[in-house]
Amino acid sequence: MRILLVEDEKKLADEISSYLKTEGYLSDYSPTFASASENIAINPYDFILLDLGLPDGDGLDLIDEIKENQDHAIIIILTARSEISDRVGGLEKGADDYLPKPFSLLELKARMQAIVRRKSGWNKEEISIGSFMLDLGNKTVSHSGNPISLTKKEFNVLHFLLIHKNRVINRYQLAEHLWGDHIEDDYQSNFIDVHIKNIRKKLGEYAKVDWLETIRGIGYKIQA
Amino acid sequence: MQLSSKMLLYNLLAKGLILLVFLMLGPFFLKYFAVKNTDNRLIEKREEVLEIIRKQGLDNFFAEEDYSSGFGSYNILKEEYILLERISEPFLVDTIYNEDRIIEEESVTYRVCSFVFSFEEEYFLLEIGRSLETIKDIEKIMFRILYITFFIFLVLTFFLDSAFGKWLVRPFKQIVENKLLHIREPQQFQYSRVDTSTDEFRLLDESLSDMMKRIQKAFNQEREFISHASHELKTPLSILQSKVEGFFNQDDLSQDQMEKLMDMQSTVQKMKKMVNSLLLISKVNNAQFLKTDTIDLGGLLLELCEEWKSMADERNIELVLPKNEPYQFSATNESLCTMMIQNALVNALKYTPDGGKISILGEKTAKGYQIRVVDNGNGISREMMDQIKEGTVFLKDASKDKSGFGLQLIYKIGLFLNVGVQIDTNPKGTSLIFDFIN
Repeated sequence: MRILLVEDEKKLADEISSYLKTEGYLSDYSPTFASASENIAINPYDFILLDLGLPDGDGLDLIDEIKENQDHAIIIILTARSEISDRVGGLEKGADDYLPKPFSLLELKARMQAIVRRKSGWNKEEISIGSFMLDLGNKTVSHSGNPISLTKKEFNVLHFLLIHKNRVINRYQLAEHLWGDHIEDDYQSNFIDVHIKNIRKKLGEYAKVDWLETIRGIGYKIQA
Repeated sequence: MQLSSKMLLYNLLAKGLILLVFLMLGPFFLKYFAVKNTDNRLIEKREEVLEIIRKQGLDNFFAEEDYSSGFGSYNILKEEYILLERISEPFLVDTIYNEDRIIEEESVTYRVCSFVFSFEEEYFLLEIGRSLETIKDIEKIMFRILYITFFIFLVLTFFLDSAFGKWLVRPFKQIVENKLLHIREPQQFQYSRVDTSTDEFRLLDESLSDMMKRIQKAFNQEREFISHASHELKTPLSILQSKVEGFFNQDDLSQDQMEKLMDMQSTVQKMKKMVNSLLLISKVNNAQFLKTDTIDLGGLLLELCEEWKSMADERNIELVLPKNEPYQFSATNESLCTMMIQNALVNALKYTPDGGKISILGEKTAKGYQIRVVDNGNGISREMMDQIKEGTVFLKDASKDKSGFGLQLIYKIGLFLNVGVQIDTNPKGTSLIFDFIN
């Protein structure tokens, strides 16, 4: 997949580009409105990650050009602006999602995958881990056809870990994914341990869950 | 006591007192003027009689100059009389006095004008009397009229003053109710002028509007500062977070390096939450959220309980939901409302000791719906409650050496969503009560 990153802050752009590269994406970088406009006119993109506050223009105005030149491209707005008018304005113009800064790169990837799935109509997509099957459309887990009762949060934890399998996901990243940023201290990150414990207990009744590793003092990792 | 009641009471007392004085003094004045008038009439009559005597002599009064029998005459109703008699010893009399006379076995008080004069070397006493019974009758009638007038006047003045007082202070009440009592945040202030023709109230209204404009300006500056500062912090925080996550992605990290990165991640996370919460407070204060959602509060409670039950179970805390009546709360913001209730529940989980109990109740009330989150933790300290009441943004919990603004967020969201938030706390537990009024 080819991605255009429109971001005026070079250090942040470098980090995002580097991450996207490790995830196997091809990415181009535009630090200005003019450069982005040029890239949009020349190259076809699957994803456009768009910062709104550009030095030579408003990123929102680029959405019209994107829609005109490459209607199929998925647009995710990345911005420090959080006024509701920006969010509504961006989505109304045709952006697919809105990720306010500061965001986790893992969250960005999860959102990208969710949009791809949604846009492709893959509501029945299933992912397997060990002998278990996750139905992403119905948000259920089953083992050999037997449904396993997980809560919404437990399913989300398992899904997030699966999206980033073979990588250590720390408790803060998981907590941010589950609850956002508005519970003010790190207390809820301890709740992640409880969710993991429950997942292990519920899935453990059907088969071993040794693929779900605990990284002591850090977080968890699905080894697959 | 209300201003209108005070004015009414003052008017009644003042007018009543004046009328009472008037009622008390009235009869004396009436009697004085009536008697004075009678005296004048008597003197006029006396002068008329003397004029007749001067011109016509005493023949009209005495037959054949026989002065020994005297002359006396009453009119038919005995209201007036005239008496003329010769006196042997001359003495000077020119006076007016009251005298009771028995006429036909009835005592009648007369005002008598007595005068001695000489005529043809003889001295005569002339008495002209006028009955005072008429004056007494008029006095009685006047008294009745005055008392009735006094009563009717007081009753009428009570109703009129009461109505006028209410009409007069109505603009003041409007100012107090619309511009002071129900204004909890500057943006709620209504700048539309209160309709009044009273200069003082107009001045008060304008002064309040001017004052609120100054407050609003200062408030906006503070809010803009928080908003801009938060935005400016977001990009560097994004860079920091991305770099830390980039490091985490490396495969060859040792446990020690991971733990150090985790510390960094923790710090970045705290900064993120602080910036986001500050921005959230700023946006809630600025009413930058839509209120177009309708949520089932009973369903929300059930969902939150299911979500957090495992956390409670982990610490042997009994999390119960004895009542969650369904209730549709409209014109609200679902995410803010959920955040508010969830923060209350998470707070209860944080401060309830292992083995404790948390009850969540949601029930309909006369005005709408009430949610109570009740725990049996150690309660909130007095210092913390003082900070909450004072509206301190960063609440400092000295006992736990922590600071935060979770409770203020609950308060601010409650204010924005028109949800009443109340905290009852004591050493045996805390109740957070949310009153939803649709």
